Parts: sequence; structure tokens; C-alpha cells
Amino acid sequence: MGYLSKASKTLRQSNYLALLCNFNFYFNPLTSRITNERFPVRRELFCSQSRQYSTTTREKSTIDLRQYPPELVRNFSIIAHVDHGKSTLADRLLELTGTIKKGHGQPQYLDKLQVERERGITVKAQTATMFYKHSVNGDDFSDGKESPSFLLNLIDTPGHVDFSYEVSRSLAACQGVLLVVDAAQGVQAQTVANFYLAFESNLTIVPVINKIDQPTADPDRVKAQLKSMFDLDPNDALLTSAKTGEGLEQILPAVIERIPAPPGRRESSLRMLLLDSYYDEYKGVICHVAVVDGVLSKGDKISSAATGQSYEALDVGIMHPELTPTGILLTGQVGYVVSGMRTTKEARVGDTIYHTRTSVETLPGFKPAKHMVFSGLYPADGSDFEALNHAIERLTCNDASVSITKETSTALGLGFRCGFLGLLHMDVFHQRLEQEYGANVISTVPTVPYTFEFSDGSKVEVQNPASLPSNPKQKVTACWEPTVIATIIIPSEYVGPVITLVSERRGQQLEYSFIDSQRVFMKYRLPLREIVVDFYNELKSITSGYASFDYEDSDYQQADLVKLDILLNGQPVDAMATIVHNTKAYRVGRELTEKLKTVIDRQMFEIIIQAAIGSKIIARETISAMRKNVLAKCYGGDVTRKRKLLEKQKEGKKRMKRVGSVDIPQEAFHQLLKVS
Amino acid sequence: MLLKSSFTPIFLVQTPKSKAQKLHHAFTKTFFTNSTPPVRHNASLNVATPPPASSAYIHLPFCRKRCHYCDFPIVALGSASTQTHHDPRVSNYIDWLCREITATKVDQPASTTPLQTVYFGGGTPSLVPPAMVSSVLESLRVKFGLCKDAEISMEMDPGTFGAEKMRKMIALGVNRVSLGVQAFQEELLRACGRAHGVQEVHEAISVVKSCGVENWSIDLIASLPHQSCEMWEESLRLTIESQPSHVSVYDLQIEQGTKFGRFYFLLHCRQQGFKLQLQLPLCNDLLYCEKLRTDTLYKLPFLTVSRIAMKLSLQFETLISDLAEYSPGEFPMPSETQSAEFYKMASRMLTDANYNHYEISSYCKSGYECKHNFIYWKNEPFYAFGLGSASFVGGLRYSRPRKVNDYINFVQNLENGLVDSSGDGNINAKDMAMDVVMLSLRTAQGLDLKSFQESFGSSVVLSLLEAYKPYVESGLVVCMDEHRRTIMDDLNYSFLYKTNTEKRVAYIRLSDPEGFLLSNELIALAFGVIDSWKACPQYQEAKAT
Repeated sequence: MGYLSKASKTLRQSNYLALLCNFNFYFNPLTSRITNERFPVRRELFCSQSRQYSTTTREKSTIDLRQYPPELVRNFSIIAHVDHGKSTLADRLLELTGTIKKGHGQPQYLDKLQVERERGITVKAQTATMFYKHSVNGDDFSDGKESPSFLLNLIDTPGHVDFSYEVSRSLAACQGVLLVVDAAQGVQAQTVANFYLAFESNLTIVPVINKIDQPTADPDRVKAQLKSMFDLDPNDALLTSAKTGEGLEQILPAVIERIPAPPGRRESSLRMLLLDSYYDEYKGVICHVAVVDGVLSKGDKISSAATGQSYEALDVGIMHPELTPTGILLTGQVGYVVSGMRTTKEARVGDTIYHTRTSVETLPGFKPAKHMVFSGLYPADGSDFEALNHAIERLTCNDASVSITKETSTALGLGFRCGFLGLLHMDVFHQRLEQEYGANVISTVPTVPYTFEFSDGSKVEVQNPASLPSNPKQKVTACWEPTVIATIIIPSEYVGPVITLVSERRGQQLEYSFIDSQRVFMKYRLPLREIVVDFYNELKSITSGYASFDYEDSDYQQADLVKLDILLNGQPVDAMATIVHNTKAYRVGRELTEKLKTVIDRQMFEIIIQAAIGSKIIARETISAMRKNVLAKCYGGDVTRKRKLLEKQKEGKKRMKRVGSVDIPQEAFHQLLKVS
Repeated sequence: MLLKSSFTPIFLVQTPKSKAQKLHHAFTKTFFTNSTPPVRHNASLNVATPPPASSAYIHLPFCRKRCHYCDFPIVALGSASTQTHHDPRVSNYIDWLCREITATKVDQPASTTPLQTVYFGGGTPSLVPPAMVSSVLESLRVKFGLCKDAEISMEMDPGTFGAEKMRKMIALGVNRVSLGVQAFQEELLRACGRAHGVQEVHEAISVVKSCGVENWSIDLIASLPHQSCEMWEESLRLTIESQPSHVSVYDLQIEQGTKFGRFYFLLHCRQQGFKLQLQLPLCNDLLYCEKLRTDTLYKLPFLTVSRIAMKLSLQFETLISDLAEYSPGEFPMPSETQSAEFYKMASRMLTDANYNHYEISSYCKSGYECKHNFIYWKNEPFYAFGLGSASFVGGLRYSRPRKVNDYINFVQNLENGLVDSSGDGNINAKDMAMDVVMLSLRTAQGLDLKSFQESFGSSVVLSLLEAYKPYVESGLVVCMDEHRRTIMDDLNYSFLYKTNTEKRVAYIRLSDPEGFLLSNELIALAFGVIDSWKACPQYQEAKAT
């Protein structure tokens, strides 16, 4: 759980957990490096739904979106490696356009956040609409006419992108991106990943070299990297410092001039792409949409292509940056719709929404969310199942991307098998359960979905290792495991250790090249399972923190997989079963049994811990029986004191999970997460 | 069917069988009104007049100095004070003590019986002048009456009394002496901060014997720091050679707030690599540590005191168990294995010398059980007077303040009727069941299943036996029949309890020494059973309706 635990530490420190949580599954595990100072910026940008309930003192003159035909609309996003200044840049652009007030807004927003947190309103807005006056070269506005006002939608691409699914959905509404690169650090793994996502979506890319005020800034080197890696013209790169404001004025003109206007025909039937949704306690489900064709007005009857359900557009508007009703959304514009949906499950991201009783061709939509990491969630105290059930229900209201099924474990009782988009997503989910709902949970070792094929030709997707029979009747004829394509960028002196690490993790090199004289770019295919636990941490530690790492989902590959059972005094502990690669089974088995030996307390009998593949024992540890636990002190008639001691002991036993006669402390389950 | 019978609401077993009313001990003298429908599952039991208290514990807290392991409420008078006649701290305390006795309500005045046991504990009761002991006994006699043949015990420490004082005490009625020897090795006595040496131990033994005290005990402490097997064997041998009628073998327990506690804490800090910043009180402890084992300590690193304080209050127990578990050998404390060996050695040597191991830490020649202590183990009521003492009257366990000034306040409040140290006779059923199990399983007599069932129902007995089944099989728990004969027939344990509990298994006890050694585990297991027991009948009923 390397980077996860690190990430969660950051989360815990953060005062803005509620906010962060809603964001997090847009973040890559790499965002563990996010520091607190980033949040105020995010807050201004995205945390403002609640403002609609605040006294709207500064009532603006109603915005008439009809004045903005597609030619005057630009939809773009900012993509960058973590910490390269994306958020600060976004913030500056909002200030520059007067969307938020410099200096003024901040404390107010802070207050809002408090309210948001108390109400548990999700803060997931990703879009901010800005208005910017600009005269395009060649147009003649000099004769006293004002420059035309452009409507610019800054669509947040989530940091990087834990999951290509999430990114593609943000980019789907854009025609161009600002690719921000730190002038000192240069191109990093996420820069590469982001670039290709934008490139493959045929988006116009405007390179921005940021932080040029730093003493170590070397914009020329970065330009050279952009040229060699991405074939971007060095002359196109904008040099800025979001911190000092230098060069910022070039950005929006570049956006308007270089990025094409959204396609789409106003006169066609309405087609909207559902970008995102979140649940608001007061308004219900709020959908973020991009209008591809046609016009949406308040009061329109609309239908979902995915569910066939019909709704009424109760409220329509833009995020400016708070929800600002406009009554209408036109072709090319991005905004929100409140439609009376009751749960976010009805709002399928990537869905096409159209006017009821018209027929339209559905939009391509997105790849469906793929749950890549599964783990069992159990109440720490078995009797708390109902409470956990309730907490999970509430939480999934705001995060429909978690898949939940009930399951039962002999060791842990009733619980849930949860599918997550990624590790950070999982971690955030756990944390929200604990912090917002006070649920005390035990989580089983995360696993990835494997496919097993048996001799009778049947195929089974295994999300829970325990569900795979240890001694199956049908022989397993083949197994497949999910892989990822990992991008690793490191200073060249670390190549040796990194290659060793990656080959230990069964990595397969796809690409190896030099970005410049000092930095190496590598692409590997890695089994997802190998990076689920502690890969990033290891990578960081062997490269003194210089490595940057990113990955995207790839295909399944055939692998020699076995189920590893853990037995306590001969009884298998279902919640501890794992699926591992055959070559690693012995090592993992040994590590698990050794770890368990340290966390399970001595009991009144000997405990034998075994790791087994089928009926073959591959590792064994013994915890000898407890010798002595007696109160032989002279307490006289002080029975109460004696009893308190024993009751404490009884309470300790009660908190344990039991398999056969062996008591397993909850800690054991947590510890197992740390074994790769 | 089986399940159903085991879940029968406990009060249903209360059929008006006359046999069921014949109960032995206090805990068994509970009854359930027959008119009450079987719905009152988890209401507290009505204890119908348990026998009136006829035992009294008297706390005499004075010591010359505090031993390093001691966390009892004591008053350290200073090492020189063996003459305490004129010490106002002592005489004032005795006054307050007598006032407490006088102000205490007599338990069940209608059926009261004179005191049958009196126990002077401490502290070091033998430091108190006989005249003052006499006034305490007189107060007791006036208030409660004192049986002619009452057992009057007194804890006495070597070096605090001579033949003359002993004879005076005997004249006052003291007829049982509990001699706090602790060890027969000079270095161990010094290491645990005792105010006497081996010489005084031998003198005290000969005084007790020469004065003709027939019923006397030697108290020993096992598992002292640096105690070796040879030392322990020697202590046991010398004890047996002294031929006391009773031997108490206690275990050193490292308690928070004692010198040993701080000592082990410091060692732990060092082991964990904390930096120690030495402040004066800690310096003293460290000097002491160094005396114990210089090589481990001369390079203690630095740690802030607040950190120590924080650690001390939060994690003391963990630290002690960590020490035992992770660093055997590095600390002068005997390991768990060694400590278990000490316990077994005591059990073996004393049993071989014809002492009965009648309670976890008590051995006696036949007929010399400590009657007073048996009151505790049988869960019968007793008075207690003096600083920090705990009484059990009218179903209430009442602990007195541990500080002298608070204690004085308490006595004043008692006199003014503002506090009452006795209860109204109501005891929560679960509490009582736990006490009964905890106390009786400490004894060789064990738990009387029949009376336990009569008080608390058969379902709890069945669940208890079920929970103990693996330990009966592994020999930690022993089943005994009506005549306390061990039932060897382990072939069909399930049959024994499922159908024939009353006839076959009449008592269960912990085996000696293995079961006794794990008594905390086994009793905590029983607590777990009792804890979940109440839910069962209710659950059954909810399902039925």
C-alpha cells in the first residue's frame, strides 16, 4: 500500500477532506504529493455549488447565452504533471476574467467550504465558465465597435488520471488543452500520459512552460524535450509564471486563436453529453453536460438514451464558477441541468440526453468504468453490519463509481465486496467511511479481477480470491490477469535499480529512450497486481524520489496464477486468501506467515500458521502456547480491581475475529495489506 | 432440539423444586419470585438477604519505606521508625479508623452474627503498637461483637517486631500471622526495596515459632528482577524447612506508578531509542537502575519528561507486555517461560512437602486455610475499614479513598450520614455471575455448577461448559463429580453436560499448575460467555413470538 498510505496521510492532514475526497478519484496515486497549499486554489475553482444557497448578494445581470454562438465559445482544459502549477494557473485565469475576485474571494470561499462540509454536499464541479473580450486578428473591430466577448469553458481534467475513463470524459467536451510543464522539472510521466490522451482525442495542444520565475528554470531544455518527445514546435510554447503573473496575458488569446470552436449545429435536435453528476441534498442530482447540438431550455422534457427515462429540465445554467441559472444552454456550451433524478445511478456518465420524443443518434460516450481493484469491507465489530450498510449506501449516493455486492466471510462475517476504479479511489472510500460515517472497517487485501478458465470450458471472473475453490473439481486450464502500461521517467543514473525492480514485478519493456542527456523514458507492461501494493513507494525509494510514474489500463495477459490459502491450525481463513503468480507464491506465502506470526498473540494452545496452494503447504510458522497469564498478586478483598483487569481482557477477546478456536486481532488484517 | 433446550429462558428452570432452594453460599441464596413471568430476563437479581457480614479487613497502612513494587495505599514513616508509639500520624489514623468502625452501619442488624474473622493488612500492621491494635479490636467488639474463636490474622514484616511485641499481639487475640518474607536472598530483598534483610527474616521466623503461633504463613514473591531458578528453589526450600502452616506465593506485578514501573519504562524508552532528558526524580530512579544493572544503563539517551509522562499514562500495560515478549534476557525481569517455571516449581515443591495448593497463590497444611480469604473467594460479604480498603456489604463493593485526607473526609461524611458504604442488597445478575466465576475458579474447590445453575440458569452453565470444552480436553480445566473426584472419562464430554450436568459434572476447576497459570485467559473466556448470556433467552423468545 505504499503510495496509498502516503496519500492518505496527506488526506488526513488536510482540513479539506470532504472536498478532496470528491476529487480524489480523479487523481492519480501520484497525487500523494499534493500539498495543502494546493487546496485553496481548488476551492475557488470548484467548490462553489453551495453558493447558490447563499444570499446571492452580488446579483449579476442575467447572462444571455444566446449571444454566444459556437464561434464565440472555446472549451479547453489544463493538463499537467502533478505540482507543475495547473491549479494556480487555472486560478489566475479565473481572476483574469473576473470570474473570481482576486484576494477577495478567498476567505469567503473558505467559509463556504465549512458549510459544504457540514452539509455533506459534494464538491465535484469541474467546469468554470469565463467571459473574455478579445479581438481576433483579421477581424475589424477598430471602428468604435467593442471586441467580441468569448465564452470560455475551463473544464477541469482531473489532475492526471487514475483512469483513462475519467480523463476521456473530461476531454470529450474540449477541443483543446493547455499542456503545462514545469520549467525546471521538464517533462514527467504524467505529462506524457496526458499528452497522449489529448493527442489521441485530436485536441489542439497549447504548450505552456510554467514557473519560469524559478532560479533553476530552463525553458530551452523543456522546449527541446517537447520537440523530441511530442514533436511540438518550440515556438508555440508560451512562457509563464502563474506565481508572478508573467506571460499570463498570452494565454487566453492563444486559447481563442489556436483552439477551434466547438462543432455542432444549433438547428439540429438537442444532443447533450452527460459529463458528470453529483448528488445535492437540496436539489437532487445535478448533471454536468456539454451541449453537442441544439438548444436546451429550462422546462424542456428530456430523456436519457441509456435508461429511457424522461425528466424535466427544472434548472439550467452554467458554472460561473458557482451554479448560475441561465435558463438556456446552446450548442457548444457546457453547463448543468437539474432534472429531478433521484440518484446518481440514473445519471450515467457518457450518456446522451435528448429532447423527449425526438430521435437522435446517440453520442459515442465513454468506455464504461472498469473496476480494477476489489477488496472486501467488513465492520470491525460484526454487529455493526447495519451501520456499515447504511454508511455505504449514503456514500455511494455521491460516488456511483463504486460497485458494491454483499458477501460473507467465515472469519469476518457479513460484509461487502467493493470494486474501485483504482487504489486511491479505494483508499478515499475507506477514509470517507471512517471519517464521515464513523464506520470502523476491516478491509481485506486488495485484489485485481482475474479470469480463470476451467477444463469444461467455463470462464469465471474472480473478484474475491476466496470464491475460487482451493481444490477445484474442474482443472484450471488457463488464467488471465489485467495489465497496465506504465510510463516511468527517471534520471539516467537510476536505470539499473529501476530495471531490476520492474523485472521483479514481471514487467515487460516496451520502450526505452532518452528524453535528453540526463533523463530516461521507459514504458513497461506490468501486471496490475504487481503495482497494487507497494510499487510506487519502492520506485520512489530506489530513485531518491526522482522517478515519475504513471500508468494506464491495458489488456489481460495469460499468467500462471495460483490461489494461496492461509490456514490457522488447519482451518483456511477465507478473508486472507490471495491469488498470486506461481513464481512468487513461495515468497509471498513466507512473508504472510511471518507477518501473521508477529501480529497474532499467543493463545492457550499452539497455533500453526500455514500458507498453502491447494493441499500443498508451502510455508509454516508456529506460535507456541502461552505459558502464563495469572493474577497472583495480593489484592486482598479488592475484587473490583481484579475484575476490571479480567474484563479488559475479555473485551480484548471480543474485538478479535475468530477462525476455529484461533483469535485473530483486527490488526492482522491491516498488516496483511502491507505484504506485497 | 438441542439448541432449543439450551436456549430455554433461564427463569423457566426455576420450577418450584424444593431441592433448588437448598443453596450453599451467598451467591446461591438468590431467588426469583415465582409470580414473575419469565420476561424479566435481564433485570437484576433480587438477592434475598445474603448472610450478614461476619468478617472484617482492617488496613494499617504504615511502612518504614515503600517497596519498589508496591502500589498499595501506604504511609511511609521513614526507615528509622520501628517505635511508633508517639508518632501522631499513627495515633491519629487509629482514631479515625475507630471512628469509621463505630460509624459504619451494621449489616442486617436483625440477624447479625459476631465477627468470625478479622484481618489486619497493610502496609505493615506489625509497626502499629499493640495498644492501638487493641483499641481497634475493642471498637470492633463493641460494634459487631467478636467470636471467641475468631480467626484474627495480622501481616507482620521481619524487622518490625520482637518476641515481646509478638506476645502482646497474641494476648490481644491475634492467632494467625502472615509473615512478609518475600525472599531469602539479601540482593533480592535489597533490589525490591524491602526494609529488612535475610537476618531479620530468620529472627522473625524464630520469634513467631517460639511464641507458639501455630497458624502462620510465609509470603513469598516470585519473578523478582534477577531472581534465578536456584534462588527461587532456595527460598522455597528454606520456607519448607521453617514449617509454616501456610505459604502464599505471589507474583511480582509491575505496576504503573511504582519504582519498578518507572524503571521498566525507562529501559523501554532506551530500547526504543528515545532520548532521555534527565530530570531530578528520574535521576534517582536511574541511579537505582544502575545499581541493578549498570551495563544496560550508563548510556541512557535523552527524552523529555512530558513525553515520559504521556507514555506512562497511555501505554504502560503495553510496554510491560512488550518488554516481556520482545526482549527476554535483555531485562533483568524473568521471561514468561521462566516465570511459569517458578510457579510450577512452587507448586511441585510445596505439594511434595504436604501443602495443599488450595488457591492460585495459597498453599496450606491440611486445615490451615485462611478463613478470612475464603470469605472473598466464596463471594461472601465482609466489612473493611481504613485507607483504601474495599468492603462488600449489602451487595456493594465499596473502595475507600486512598489518600489520608480524603479518607478523613470520608469518615466525617460517614459519621454525618452523607455516605453509606453498604448497598441495598441488589446485585446485577451478570456482575454477580462474573464475580462468582472469577473467585471460585481461583480455588481448588472450583465452581459449583449446581448452585451456579440454580442462581443463573442452565443455559449459561451449558455455554460455559461448551466454551471450556477444548480446555477440558487439553487438561487446563478439570471436571469433578459430586465428591470432587476428577472425572477421568473425557471420552464423552458432550454427553456429560448436555444431558447429565447435575448428576455427573458437579464442579469444574482449573488444573494445577497449568490451568492456574492461564487463569486470566480462562476466566476472561468465562466472562465472555456470561456477557453474551443474557441475550440468548431474549433472542429465543423474540423468535418464538
